[in-house]
Amino acid sequence: MHDFEPKIVAFVCTWCTYAGADLAGTSRMQYPPNVRVLKFPCTGRIDPVFILRAFQKGADGVLVSGCHPGDCHYMAGNFHARRRFAAFRALLNFVGVDLNRLQFSWVSAAEGGKWVDVVTELTERVRTMGPMPEFKELEHEEQWSGAINTPELKEAYDSIG
Amino acid sequence: MNAKANKNHVTSIEPAYYEAITEAIRKEAVKILKNETVVGVVGYLPGRRKGTASPALVTTVEEAEKLIFSPACVNNLSVYLTKAKKGVLKQGKVGIVAKGCDMRALAGLMTESQLQREDLFIIGVVCPGVYGFGVQRTGTLTEENIARKCRECTVHMPEGADVAAGTHAELADLTPEEAEEMARIEAMPQTERWAFWKEHFSRCIRCMACRQVCPFCYCEQCLCDKNRPQAVESSPRPAGNMAWHLVRAMHLAGRCGGCAECERVCPMDIPLNLLNRRMAQELKELYDFEAGLTPVEKGPLNEYKENDDQSFIK
Ligand code: SF4
Ligand code: SF4
Ligand code: SF4
Ligand code: SF4
Repeated sequence: MHDFEPKIVAFVCTWCTYAGADLAGTSRMQYPPNVRVLKFPCTGRIDPVFILRAFQKGADGVLVSGCHPGDCHYMAGNFHARRRFAAFRALLNFVGVDLNRLQFSWVSAAEGGKWVDVVTELTERVRTMGPMPEFKELEHEEQWSGAINTPELKEAYDSIG
Repeated sequence: MNAKANKNHVTSIEPAYYEAITEAIRKEAVKILKNETVVGVVGYLPGRRKGTASPALVTTVEEAEKLIFSPACVNNLSVYLTKAKKGVLKQGKVGIVAKGCDMRALAGLMTESQLQREDLFIIGVVCPGVYGFGVQRTGTLTEENIARKCRECTVHMPEGADVAAGTHAELADLTPEEAEEMARIEAMPQTERWAFWKEHFSRCIRCMACRQVCPFCYCEQCLCDKNRPQAVESSPRPAGNMAWHLVRAMHLAGRCGGCAECERVCPMDIPLNLLNRRMAQELKELYDFEAGLTPVEKGPLNEYKENDDQSFIK
Protein backbone atom coordinates (compact mmCIF):
# COMPACT_ATOMS: atom_id res chain seq x y z
CA MET A 1 0.00 0.00 0.00
CA HIS A 2 1.19 3.46 -0.88
CA ASP A 3 1.34 6.22 1.63
CA PHE A 4 -1.02 9.05 0.82
CA GLU A 5 0.69 11.80 -1.15
CA PRO A 6 -1.47 14.91 -1.23
CA LYS A 7 -1.96 16.74 -4.50
CA ILE A 8 -1.71 20.47 -3.96
CA VAL A 9 -2.62 22.99 -6.63
CA ALA A 10 -1.20 26.48 -6.25
CA PHE A 11 -2.71 29.42 -8.11
CA VAL A 12 -0.17 32.20 -7.97
CA CYS A 13 0.30 35.62 -9.46
CA THR A 14 3.22 36.01 -11.79
CA TRP A 15 4.63 39.17 -10.26
CA CYS A 16 5.13 38.19 -6.64
CA THR A 17 4.48 34.61 -5.63
CA TYR A 18 5.66 33.03 -8.86
CA ALA A 19 8.85 35.02 -8.63
CA GLY A 20 9.10 34.03 -4.95
CA ALA A 21 8.74 30.35 -5.84
CA ASP A 22 11.32 30.83 -8.56
CA LEU A 23 13.67 32.38 -6.05
CA ALA A 24 13.21 29.40 -3.76
CA GLY A 25 14.13 27.18 -6.70
CA THR A 26 17.18 29.10 -7.82
CA SER A 27 18.32 29.31 -4.20
CA ARG A 28 18.04 25.52 -4.07
CA MET A 29 15.65 25.54 -1.14
CA GLN A 30 13.85 22.25 -0.63
CA TYR A 31 10.06 22.01 -0.54
CA PRO A 32 7.56 19.19 -1.04
CA PRO A 33 7.13 18.20 -4.68
CA ASN A 34 3.39 17.82 -4.12
CA VAL A 35 2.59 21.26 -5.37
CA ARG A 36 1.60 22.03 -8.97
CA VAL A 37 2.00 25.71 -9.70
CA LEU A 38 -0.31 27.60 -12.06
CA LYS A 39 0.68 31.10 -12.97
CA PHE A 40 -1.76 33.98 -13.41
CA PRO A 41 -1.29 37.62 -14.27
CA CYS A 42 -2.84 38.68 -10.96
CA THR A 43 -4.70 37.23 -7.97
CA GLY A 44 -7.59 39.30 -9.27
CA ARG A 45 -7.75 36.91 -12.21
CA ILE A 46 -8.06 33.82 -10.04
CA ASP A 47 -11.75 33.02 -10.36
CA PRO A 48 -13.25 30.91 -7.55
CA VAL A 49 -14.37 28.52 -10.27
CA PHE A 50 -10.69 27.58 -10.79
CA ILE A 51 -10.56 26.39 -7.21
CA LEU A 52 -13.66 24.27 -7.69
CA ARG A 53 -12.18 22.86 -10.85
CA ALA A 54 -8.99 21.94 -9.02
CA PHE A 55 -10.92 20.10 -6.32
CA GLN A 56 -13.08 18.36 -8.91
CA LYS A 57 -10.04 17.22 -10.82
CA GLY A 58 -8.39 15.67 -7.80
CA ALA A 59 -6.64 18.31 -5.71
CA ASP A 60 -6.56 17.55 -2.01
CA GLY A 61 -5.52 21.07 -1.16
CA VAL A 62 -5.45 24.43 -2.91
CA LEU A 63 -3.20 27.40 -2.37
CA VAL A 64 -3.92 30.87 -3.70
CA SER A 65 -1.12 33.34 -3.36
CA GLY A 66 -0.16 36.73 -4.68
CA CYS A 67 1.40 40.06 -3.82
CA HIS A 68 1.10 41.64 -0.42
CA PRO A 69 -1.51 44.39 -0.12
CA GLY A 70 -0.15 47.54 -1.69
CA ASP A 71 2.27 45.65 -3.94
CA CYS A 72 -0.14 44.64 -6.69
CA HIS A 73 1.28 45.16 -10.16
CA TYR A 74 -2.17 46.35 -11.22
CA MET A 75 -2.67 48.50 -8.13
CA ALA A 76 -5.73 46.82 -6.59
CA GLY A 77 -6.17 43.30 -8.00
CA ASN A 78 -5.32 41.66 -4.72
CA PHE A 79 -7.62 43.95 -2.73
CA HIS A 80 -10.53 42.88 -4.90
CA ALA A 81 -9.45 39.26 -4.69
CA ARG A 82 -9.32 39.50 -0.90
CA ARG A 83 -13.03 40.37 -0.70
CA ARG A 84 -14.02 37.78 -3.24
CA PHE A 85 -12.14 35.05 -1.46
CA ALA A 86 -13.50 36.01 1.94
CA ALA A 87 -16.99 35.59 0.50
CA PHE A 88 -16.09 32.37 -1.30
CA ARG A 89 -14.69 30.83 1.86
CA ALA A 90 -17.92 31.60 3.64
CA LEU A 91 -19.87 29.94 0.85
CA LEU A 92 -17.73 26.82 0.86
CA ASN A 93 -18.01 26.61 4.61
CA PHE A 94 -21.79 26.86 4.42
CA VAL A 95 -22.02 23.95 2.01
CA GLY A 96 -19.72 21.90 4.20
CA VAL A 97 -16.20 22.12 2.78
CA ASP A 98 -13.32 21.97 5.26
CA LEU A 99 -11.53 25.28 4.86
CA ASN A 100 -8.28 23.80 6.12
CA ARG A 101 -7.75 22.52 2.61
CA LEU A 102 -7.81 25.96 1.12
CA GLN A 103 -5.05 28.38 1.91
CA PHE A 104 -4.60 32.01 0.98
CA SER A 105 -1.22 33.67 1.32
CA TRP A 106 0.75 36.73 0.38
CA VAL A 107 4.23 35.78 -0.80
CA SER A 108 6.44 38.42 -2.39
CA ALA A 109 9.17 37.96 -4.98
CA ALA A 110 11.75 38.24 -2.20
CA GLU A 111 10.15 35.67 0.06
CA GLY A 112 11.53 32.39 -1.24
CA GLY A 113 11.69 31.18 2.34
CA LYS A 114 8.07 32.03 3.01
CA TRP A 115 7.01 30.12 -0.11
CA VAL A 116 8.80 27.05 1.20
CA ASP A 117 7.12 27.43 4.60
CA VAL A 118 3.65 27.94 3.16
CA VAL A 119 3.87 24.98 0.81
CA THR A 120 5.40 22.72 3.41
CA GLU A 121 2.83 23.61 6.01
CA LEU A 122 -0.13 23.14 3.69
CA THR A 123 1.22 19.85 2.35
CA GLU A 124 1.75 18.50 5.84
CA ARG A 125 -1.65 19.66 7.01
CA VAL A 126 -3.40 18.03 4.05
CA ARG A 127 -1.32 14.91 4.50
CA THR A 128 -2.69 14.45 8.00
CA MET A 129 -6.22 15.24 6.81
CA GLY A 130 -6.04 12.56 4.15
CA PRO A 131 -7.52 12.65 0.65
CA MET A 132 -10.36 15.03 -0.11
CA PRO A 133 -13.20 12.82 -1.31
CA GLU A 134 -16.12 15.22 -1.61
CA PHE A 135 -15.72 16.81 -5.02
CA LYS A 136 -14.06 13.76 -6.50
CA GLU A 137 -16.94 11.54 -5.50
CA LEU A 138 -19.35 13.88 -7.20
CA GLU A 139 -17.34 13.55 -10.40
CA HIS A 140 -18.12 9.86 -10.50
CA GLU A 141 -21.71 10.00 -9.44
CA GLU A 142 -24.58 10.01 -11.84
CA GLN A 143 -27.79 11.86 -11.30
CA TRP A 144 -29.72 8.81 -10.28
CA SER A 145 -28.33 5.79 -8.49
CA GLY A 146 -27.30 4.43 -11.87
CA ALA A 147 -29.48 1.39 -11.23
CA ILE A 148 -32.39 1.17 -13.61
CA ASN A 149 -34.02 -1.86 -12.09
CA THR A 150 -35.41 -0.19 -8.99
CA PRO A 151 -38.93 -1.20 -7.94
CA GLU A 152 -40.18 2.35 -8.58
CA LEU A 153 -38.90 2.41 -12.14
CA LYS A 154 -40.14 -1.09 -12.80
CA GLU A 155 -43.57 -0.07 -11.65
CA ALA A 156 -43.41 3.01 -13.84
CA TYR A 157 -42.41 0.97 -16.89
CA ASP A 158 -45.09 -1.61 -16.21
CA SER A 159 -47.75 1.02 -16.00
CA ILE A 160 -46.84 2.50 -19.37
CA GLY A 161 -48.33 -0.57 -21.07
CA MET B 1 -38.81 54.01 7.29
CA ASN B 2 -40.09 50.64 8.31
CA ALA B 3 -41.05 51.62 11.81
CA LYS B 4 -42.88 48.66 13.27
CA ALA B 5 -45.03 51.02 15.29
CA ASN B 6 -46.73 52.40 12.22
CA LYS B 7 -47.81 49.01 10.98
CA ASN B 8 -51.31 47.79 10.97
CA HIS B 9 -51.09 44.20 12.25
CA VAL B 10 -53.81 41.81 11.19
CA THR B 11 -54.25 38.06 11.08
CA SER B 12 -55.36 37.85 7.47
CA ILE B 13 -55.22 40.17 4.50
CA GLU B 14 -58.58 40.40 2.79
CA PRO B 15 -59.05 40.71 -0.98
CA ALA B 16 -60.37 44.23 -0.43
CA TYR B 17 -56.88 45.38 0.46
CA TYR B 18 -55.52 44.14 -2.87
CA GLU B 19 -58.49 45.61 -4.68
CA ALA B 20 -57.63 49.02 -3.28
CA ILE B 21 -54.06 48.60 -4.54
CA THR B 22 -55.41 47.49 -7.90
CA GLU B 23 -57.51 50.65 -8.14
CA ALA B 24 -54.54 52.83 -7.27
CA ILE B 25 -52.32 51.09 -9.84
CA ARG B 26 -54.92 51.42 -12.59
CA LYS B 27 -55.47 55.08 -11.85
CA GLU B 28 -51.79 55.82 -11.92
CA ALA B 29 -51.08 53.73 -15.02
CA VAL B 30 -53.90 55.37 -16.93
CA LYS B 31 -52.69 58.79 -15.89
CA ILE B 32 -49.08 58.33 -16.93
CA LEU B 33 -50.09 56.74 -20.23
CA LYS B 34 -52.56 59.50 -20.98
CA ASN B 35 -50.18 62.33 -20.25
CA GLU B 36 -47.46 60.44 -22.10
CA THR B 37 -45.06 60.28 -19.20
CA VAL B 38 -44.41 56.69 -20.23
CA VAL B 39 -44.78 54.58 -23.35
CA GLY B 40 -45.91 51.54 -21.42
CA VAL B 41 -46.37 50.05 -17.98
CA VAL B 42 -45.03 46.67 -16.88
CA GLY B 43 -47.58 45.21 -14.50
CA TYR B 44 -49.84 42.23 -13.93
CA LEU B 45 -52.94 41.18 -15.82
CA PRO B 46 -55.32 38.46 -14.62
CA GLY B 47 -54.01 35.04 -15.57
CA ARG B 48 -56.10 32.61 -17.55
CA ARG B 49 -56.78 30.43 -14.56
CA LYS B 50 -58.53 31.72 -11.51
CA GLY B 51 -56.20 32.92 -8.78
CA THR B 52 -53.28 33.62 -11.12
CA ALA B 53 -51.69 36.71 -12.62
CA SER B 54 -49.42 37.20 -15.60
CA PRO B 55 -46.80 39.85 -16.15
CA ALA B 56 -47.63 42.16 -19.04
CA LEU B 57 -46.48 45.31 -20.75
CA VAL B 58 -49.53 47.48 -21.31
CA THR B 59 -49.36 50.40 -23.71
CA THR B 60 -52.96 51.59 -23.97
CA VAL B 61 -55.43 53.08 -21.53
CA GLU B 62 -57.87 50.21 -22.15
CA GLU B 63 -55.27 47.65 -21.19
CA ALA B 64 -54.12 49.70 -18.23
CA GLU B 65 -57.61 49.55 -16.84
CA LYS B 66 -57.28 45.78 -16.64
CA LEU B 67 -54.10 45.77 -14.51
CA ILE B 68 -54.43 43.98 -11.20
CA PHE B 69 -52.66 43.40 -7.95
CA SER B 70 -53.41 40.30 -5.91
CA PRO B 71 -51.49 37.79 -3.79
CA ALA B 72 -50.92 35.92 -7.05
CA CYS B 73 -48.67 38.73 -8.32
CA VAL B 74 -45.55 36.85 -7.38
CA ASN B 75 -43.26 37.71 -10.29
CA ASN B 76 -40.45 40.18 -9.97
CA LEU B 77 -41.15 42.42 -12.94
CA SER B 78 -37.78 44.11 -12.95
CA VAL B 79 -36.44 41.22 -15.00
CA TYR B 80 -38.42 42.55 -17.97
CA LEU B 81 -36.30 45.67 -18.05
CA THR B 82 -32.90 44.00 -18.18
CA LYS B 83 -30.58 43.48 -21.07
CA ALA B 84 -31.57 39.85 -21.25
CA LYS B 85 -35.11 40.85 -22.24
CA LYS B 86 -34.05 43.26 -24.90
CA GLY B 87 -36.14 46.11 -26.09
CA VAL B 88 -38.67 47.22 -23.50
CA LEU B 89 -36.70 50.26 -22.48
CA LYS B 90 -35.73 51.20 -26.01
CA GLN B 91 -39.14 52.69 -26.72
CA GLY B 92 -38.82 55.35 -24.02
CA LYS B 93 -39.61 55.81 -20.36
CA VAL B 94 -41.62 52.95 -18.87
CA GLY B 95 -43.74 52.52 -15.79
CA ILE B 96 -43.29 49.48 -13.60
CA VAL B 97 -45.28 48.02 -10.75
CA ALA B 98 -42.90 47.05 -7.97
CA LYS B 99 -43.26 45.40 -4.58
CA GLY B 100 -40.60 46.11 -1.98
CA CYS B 101 -38.49 43.10 -2.89
CA ASP B 102 -38.73 44.01 -6.58
CA MET B 103 -37.65 47.56 -5.79
CA ARG B 104 -34.46 46.13 -4.38
CA ALA B 105 -33.73 44.56 -7.72
CA LEU B 106 -34.42 47.86 -9.47
CA ALA B 107 -32.03 49.63 -7.10
CA GLY B 108 -29.41 46.94 -7.68
CA LEU B 109 -29.77 47.22 -11.44
CA MET B 110 -29.32 50.97 -11.15
CA THR B 111 -26.19 50.37 -9.10
CA GLU B 112 -24.90 48.21 -11.91
CA SER B 113 -25.77 50.78 -14.58
CA GLN B 114 -28.32 48.50 -16.15
CA LEU B 115 -31.16 50.91 -15.57
CA GLN B 116 -31.44 54.62 -15.08
CA ARG B 117 -33.83 56.13 -12.64
CA GLU B 118 -35.00 58.76 -15.10
CA ASP B 119 -36.07 56.05 -17.54
CA LEU B 120 -38.50 54.61 -15.02
CA PHE B 121 -41.74 55.59 -13.41
CA ILE B 122 -42.05 53.32 -10.41
CA ILE B 123 -45.47 52.49 -9.03
CA GLY B 124 -44.45 51.11 -5.66
CA VAL B 125 -46.78 48.64 -3.95
CA VAL B 126 -47.17 48.69 -0.20
CA CYS B 127 -47.13 44.94 -0.18
CA PRO B 128 -48.51 42.75 2.58
CA GLY B 129 -47.31 39.55 0.92
CA VAL B 130 -47.94 37.10 -1.89
CA TYR B 131 -48.90 33.43 -2.11
CA GLY B 132 -46.31 30.79 -1.51
CA PHE B 133 -45.95 27.89 -3.92
CA GLY B 134 -48.21 24.91 -3.92
CA VAL B 135 -50.83 26.57 -1.76
CA GLN B 136 -54.53 26.99 -2.19
CA ARG B 137 -54.98 30.28 -3.97
CA THR B 138 -58.11 31.48 -2.26
CA GLY B 139 -58.83 35.14 -1.65
CA THR B 140 -57.52 35.71 1.82
CA LEU B 141 -53.81 35.79 2.57
CA THR B 142 -53.01 34.05 5.84
CA GLU B 143 -50.11 32.54 7.66
CA GLU B 144 -50.89 29.25 5.87
CA ASN B 145 -50.53 30.43 2.30
CA ILE B 146 -48.07 33.32 2.44
CA ALA B 147 -44.71 32.89 0.66
CA ARG B 148 -41.70 31.95 2.74
CA LYS B 149 -39.78 35.12 1.85
CA CYS B 150 -42.68 37.31 2.97
CA ARG B 151 -42.38 35.93 6.47
CA GLU B 152 -39.06 37.71 6.83
CA CYS B 153 -39.81 40.72 4.68
CA THR B 154 -38.33 44.03 5.76
CA VAL B 155 -39.50 46.01 2.74
CA HIS B 156 -43.29 45.87 2.93
CA MET B 157 -43.14 49.62 2.54
CA PRO B 158 -41.05 50.42 -0.54
CA GLU B 159 -39.12 53.66 -0.55
CA GLY B 160 -38.07 55.76 -3.49
CA ALA B 161 -41.01 55.00 -5.77
CA ASP B 162 -42.74 57.74 -7.74
CA VAL B 163 -46.05 56.81 -6.18
CA ALA B 164 -47.04 54.23 -3.60
CA ALA B 165 -50.17 52.13 -3.99
CA GLY B 166 -51.77 50.93 -0.76
CA THR B 167 -51.58 51.70 2.90
CA HIS B 168 -49.69 49.74 5.44
CA ALA B 169 -50.86 46.30 6.47
CA GLU B 170 -49.03 43.15 7.38
CA LEU B 171 -49.72 39.80 8.92
CA ALA B 172 -49.05 39.63 12.62
CA ASP B 173 -46.46 37.38 14.26
CA LEU B 174 -45.25 35.28 11.35
CA THR B 175 -42.47 32.86 12.14
CA PRO B 176 -39.44 33.58 9.97
CA GLU B 177 -39.07 30.14 8.40
CA GLU B 178 -36.00 30.84 6.31
CA ALA B 179 -34.09 32.16 9.29
CA GLU B 180 -34.98 29.04 11.24
CA GLU B 181 -33.97 26.76 8.42
CA MET B 182 -30.68 28.59 8.01
CA ALA B 183 -29.93 28.33 11.71
CA ARG B 184 -30.66 24.61 11.49
CA ILE B 185 -28.17 24.15 8.64
CA GLU B 186 -25.53 26.24 10.37
CA ALA B 187 -25.82 24.10 13.46
CA MET B 188 -25.12 20.90 11.51
CA PRO B 189 -21.66 19.37 11.59
CA GLN B 190 -19.73 20.07 8.41
CA THR B 191 -20.20 16.63 6.89
CA GLU B 192 -23.95 16.85 7.38
CA ARG B 193 -24.04 20.24 5.74
CA TRP B 194 -22.26 18.76 2.74
CA ALA B 195 -24.72 15.88 2.62
CA PHE B 196 -27.63 18.29 2.87
CA TRP B 197 -26.56 20.45 -0.05
CA LYS B 198 -25.29 17.54 -2.06
CA GLU B 199 -28.69 15.91 -1.91
CA HIS B 200 -30.43 19.11 -2.94
CA PHE B 201 -28.03 19.97 -5.73
CA SER B 202 -28.01 16.41 -7.07
CA ARG B 203 -31.68 16.82 -7.91
CA CYS B 204 -31.02 19.87 -10.09
CA ILE B 205 -31.97 19.21 -13.70
CA ARG B 206 -30.08 22.27 -15.00
CA CYS B 207 -33.15 23.75 -16.59
CA MET B 208 -31.65 27.16 -15.78
CA ALA B 209 -35.01 28.59 -14.85
CA CYS B 210 -33.40 30.08 -11.74
CA ARG B 211 -31.03 31.99 -13.98
CA GLN B 212 -33.65 33.11 -16.48
CA VAL B 213 -35.89 34.58 -13.83
CA CYS B 214 -33.17 36.41 -11.92
CA PRO B 215 -32.90 40.12 -12.68
CA PHE B 216 -29.19 39.97 -11.91
CA CYS B 217 -28.39 37.11 -14.27
CA TYR B 218 -28.39 39.42 -17.25
CA CYS B 219 -24.99 38.34 -18.58
CA GLU B 220 -25.20 37.87 -22.32
CA GLN B 221 -22.89 34.95 -22.03
CA CYS B 222 -23.08 33.06 -18.79
CA LEU B 223 -19.90 31.49 -17.52
CA CYS B 224 -21.85 28.28 -17.15
CA ASP B 225 -22.61 28.06 -20.87
CA LYS B 226 -19.02 28.40 -21.97
CA ASN B 227 -17.44 25.28 -23.33
CA ARG B 228 -14.04 26.38 -24.58
CA PRO B 229 -12.72 25.88 -22.03
CA GLN B 230 -15.59 24.55 -20.05
CA ALA B 231 -15.67 26.06 -16.59
CA VAL B 232 -18.75 24.27 -15.32
CA GLU B 233 -20.00 20.98 -16.65
CA SER B 234 -23.38 21.66 -18.19
CA SER B 235 -25.10 18.29 -18.03
CA PRO B 236 -27.21 17.55 -14.98
CA ARG B 237 -24.75 15.45 -13.05
CA PRO B 238 -23.79 15.97 -9.42
CA ALA B 239 -20.32 17.39 -10.09
CA GLY B 240 -21.46 20.07 -12.50
CA ASN B 241 -24.50 20.80 -10.39
CA MET B 242 -22.42 21.54 -7.33
CA ALA B 243 -20.19 23.84 -9.38
CA TRP B 244 -23.18 25.58 -10.94
CA HIS B 245 -24.76 26.28 -7.59
CA LEU B 246 -21.57 27.57 -6.05
CA VAL B 247 -20.95 29.80 -9.06
CA ARG B 248 -24.50 31.07 -8.99
CA ALA B 249 -24.39 31.85 -5.28
CA MET B 250 -21.04 33.55 -5.70
CA HIS B 251 -22.18 35.66 -8.64
CA LEU B 252 -25.25 36.81 -6.79
CA ALA B 253 -23.41 37.56 -3.57
CA GLY B 254 -23.83 41.19 -2.63
CA ARG B 255 -26.24 41.71 -5.52
CA CYS B 256 -29.23 39.48 -4.88
CA GLY B 257 -32.25 41.42 -3.69
CA GLY B 258 -33.89 38.40 -2.11
CA CYS B 259 -36.98 38.28 -4.30
CA ALA B 260 -36.78 34.45 -4.10
CA GLU B 261 -37.88 34.14 -7.70
CA CYS B 262 -35.10 31.65 -8.34
CA GLU B 263 -36.45 29.39 -5.62
CA ARG B 264 -40.05 29.83 -6.75
CA VAL B 265 -39.38 28.74 -10.31
CA CYS B 266 -37.15 25.80 -9.43
CA PRO B 267 -39.00 22.66 -10.50
CA MET B 268 -36.90 20.54 -8.17
CA ASP B 269 -37.65 22.45 -4.96
CA ILE B 270 -34.06 23.37 -4.26
CA PRO B 271 -33.93 25.95 -1.45
CA LEU B 272 -31.90 28.48 -3.40
CA ASN B 273 -32.90 31.44 -1.32
CA LEU B 274 -31.19 29.90 1.69
CA LEU B 275 -27.91 30.21 -0.15
CA ASN B 276 -28.74 33.72 -1.30
CA ARG B 277 -29.65 34.79 2.18
CA ARG B 278 -26.60 33.20 3.64
CA MET B 279 -24.35 35.13 1.29
CA ALA B 280 -26.26 38.33 2.01
CA GLN B 281 -25.75 37.78 5.72
CA GLU B 282 -22.10 37.04 5.17
CA LEU B 283 -21.52 40.26 3.24
CA LYS B 284 -23.30 42.19 5.90
CA GLU B 285 -21.00 40.79 8.54
CA LEU B 286 -17.87 41.22 6.45
CA TYR B 287 -18.48 44.53 4.72
CA ASP B 288 -21.52 45.97 6.40
CA PHE B 289 -23.41 45.88 3.15
CA GLU B 290 -27.07 45.11 2.62
CA ALA B 291 -28.89 45.24 -0.69
CA GLY B 292 -31.32 48.04 -0.03
CA LEU B 293 -33.87 50.15 -1.78
CA THR B 294 -31.48 52.87 -2.89
CA PRO B 295 -28.83 52.48 -5.57
CA VAL B 296 -25.27 52.70 -4.31
CA GLU B 297 -22.02 53.62 -5.97
CA LYS B 298 -20.62 50.09 -6.03
CA GLY B 299 -21.57 46.69 -4.70
CA PRO B 300 -19.44 45.12 -1.93
CA LEU B 301 -17.52 42.82 -4.26
CA ASN B 302 -16.75 45.60 -6.70
CA GLU B 303 -14.91 47.73 -4.21
CA TYR B 304 -12.47 47.28 -1.36
CA LYS B 305 -10.96 49.01 1.59
CA GLU B 306 -7.28 48.81 2.31
CA ASN B 307 -8.00 47.67 5.84
CA ASP B 308 -10.48 44.90 4.94
CA ASP B 309 -10.18 41.87 7.15
CA GLN B 310 -7.44 39.51 6.02
CA SER B 311 -7.13 37.31 9.05
CA PHE B 312 -7.73 34.30 6.78
CA ILE B 313 -4.68 35.10 4.65
CA LYS B 314 -1.48 33.66 5.98
S1 SF4 C 1 -41.06 39.87 0.32
FE1 SF4 C 1 -42.15 41.67 1.10
S2 SF4 C 1 -42.37 43.02 -0.63
FE2 SF4 C 1 -41.79 41.01 -1.44
S3 SF4 C 1 -43.73 40.01 -1.93
FE3 SF4 C 1 -43.24 39.43 0.17
S4 SF4 C 1 -44.21 40.93 1.48
FE4 SF4 C 1 -44.20 41.76 -0.59
S1 SF4 D 1 -24.77 32.66 -13.24
FE1 SF4 D 1 -23.25 34.27 -13.19
S2 SF4 D 1 -22.46 34.37 -15.27
FE2 SF4 D 1 -24.36 33.26 -15.35
S3 SF4 D 1 -25.89 34.78 -15.84
FE3 SF4 D 1 -25.86 34.55 -13.61
S4 SF4 D 1 -24.45 36.11 -12.89
FE4 SF4 D 1 -24.11 35.86 -15.07
S1 SF4 E 1 -30.79 35.27 -6.96
FE1 SF4 E 1 -32.92 34.72 -6.73
S2 SF4 E 1 -33.61 35.92 -4.98
FE2 SF4 E 1 -31.72 36.85 -5.71
S3 SF4 E 1 -32.35 38.43 -7.13
FE3 SF4 E 1 -31.96 36.58 -8.32
S4 SF4 E 1 -33.97 35.59 -8.49
FE4 SF4 E 1 -34.10 37.10 -6.83
S1 SF4 F 1 -34.26 26.07 -11.46
FE1 SF4 F 1 -33.74 24.42 -10.05
S2 SF4 F 1 -33.50 22.60 -11.34
FE2 SF4 F 1 -33.43 24.39 -12.69
S3 SF4 F 1 -31.25 24.85 -12.88
FE3 SF4 F 1 -32.05 26.12 -11.21
S4 SF4 F 1 -31.70 24.91 -9.37
FE4 SF4 F 1 -31.49 23.52 -11.10
